[in-house]
Amino acid sequence: MIEKIKASKSEKAILIFIVTLAVFFFGSFFLIKDKCLFVKNYDPLKITFDNPKNIAILNVACGNVIIELYPNISPNAVKRFKQLINTKSYDDVAFHRVIKDTLVQAGDLEFGKKGNLDYGKIGTGKSGLGTINSEVDTPFNFDKGSIGLARGQKYNTEDSQFFIILRDEPLYETEYTPIGKVIYGLEALKKIKYLDKSQYVLRPDFINSLRMLVN
Amino acid sequence: MSLIRLIILSLFIFTQTQADTIYNLIKIPNLEIYDIKTSNKLRYLFAKQPFTLGIEKNINCYNSEKKILDQKYKIIKKNLDRYNQEFLKKINLKYIVMCEDLSISKINTAGIPDHVMKTLILDIKFNKDYFERVIHHEVFHIINDSFKQLFDEDVWSKFNVEEFEYAECSTCTDKLGLDTYKNTNGFLTEYSRSTASEDMAEVFSHLMIGLNLDRLDPILEKKIKFIKTNLLKIDENFIL
Repeated sequence: MIEKIKASKSEKAILIFIVTLAVFFFGSFFLIKDKCLFVKNYDPLKITFDNPKNIAILNVACGNVIIELYPNISPNAVKRFKQLINTKSYDDVAFHRVIKDTLVQAGDLEFGKKGNLDYGKIGTGKSGLGTINSEVDTPFNFDKGSIGLARGQKYNTEDSQFFIILRDEPLYETEYTPIGKVIYGLEALKKIKYLDKSQYVLRPDFINSLRMLVN
Repeated sequence: MSLIRLIILSLFIFTQTQADTIYNLIKIPNLEIYDIKTSNKLRYLFAKQPFTLGIEKNINCYNSEKKILDQKYKIIKKNLDRYNQEFLKKINLKYIVMCEDLSISKINTAGIPDHVMKTLILDIKFNKDYFERVIHHEVFHIINDSFKQLFDEDVWSKFNVEEFEYAECSTCTDKLGLDTYKNTNGFLTEYSRSTASEDMAEVFSHLMIGLNLDRLDPILEKKIKFIKTNLLKIDENFIL
């Protein structure tokens, strides 16, 4: 007959400690890997908007980013942006330029598409619709969450690329054409992949989809 | 008192974060915001630390003491406030960089205009006596660079007497004096004789500051008319 040996208190404590450690160890593989763990995902259908026709939903890895567009401030730029949204042109396009806690930039339809990335040319691609004129004369506060159209060194070279700023950038006023502002979900953009040593991202994150709330 | 400290501290934190944004916009490192809330939308920046520019790193400028910066800023702003936002937009000038001991290839210079980057770098310690005039002189270079077709150097050179020739470049001569001649004879200063572009800038800057001459010689009259006429082509409301 085998004698049953009871575990001492200290042995029990060690066992609990090891089990806890194991839980944290294996759990961390899933928890740490999930960069979106604490990011709230907003459902636009549960939010009431004053002007739903100017609401766009940018879906990224960590959820929805809800954008209000300002056609009154930049009519041509917003028109172009909506046009590209309606043709689903931004789907699967890379966030090719990302500066930690500063900005994310996407919209290179020529060299930034998933499966067709060209790292040598990314950021220089065109939409095929031609450039549009800058709309920089209306006063606009480029505070956190503001969205602008990117351009070349010269004005009037805006096309499809856009950026969203993650901090206030007062110097952007009169430099870039504003098109709107993120009203919910800016946290999801802070999780977009960035590199510490370069603004241009190798193996970047992509836009899942970009849609108008109301077509 | 603690509120003031907090405001000062928040300003410091605010401007610190802008250096990289400024670099992305105008490609000059080590700058911070001095003042951007101006009526004509000019953005005043200052060197927080010395900076070096150019492909051959031949442009250098240094940071200033806050006291000097504050003094000179008032003078610079007073003078640049004379240009309205519309005009500045047309000539492509938006950023004023304030620093001291500005030099190109070790030659001291009052300013470096760059209309492509919409930037004018000003040496705030350059020539105390003519500092205000120099500001307008440098602004003219921006105007000139943005409207080369209007300020045709061949047309300008023909105003001078036939035997006169400008130097190849402004640093290719020792004609650097900025004192205004009493007897003008077609030129306002010694520096006017260096190049056509510098001559135009000298006429413009004197007009901006106010020309105090008993009488104008016929050559200078033609030059003044040329500058005024072409400025009005850029902006019909421009007031000299």
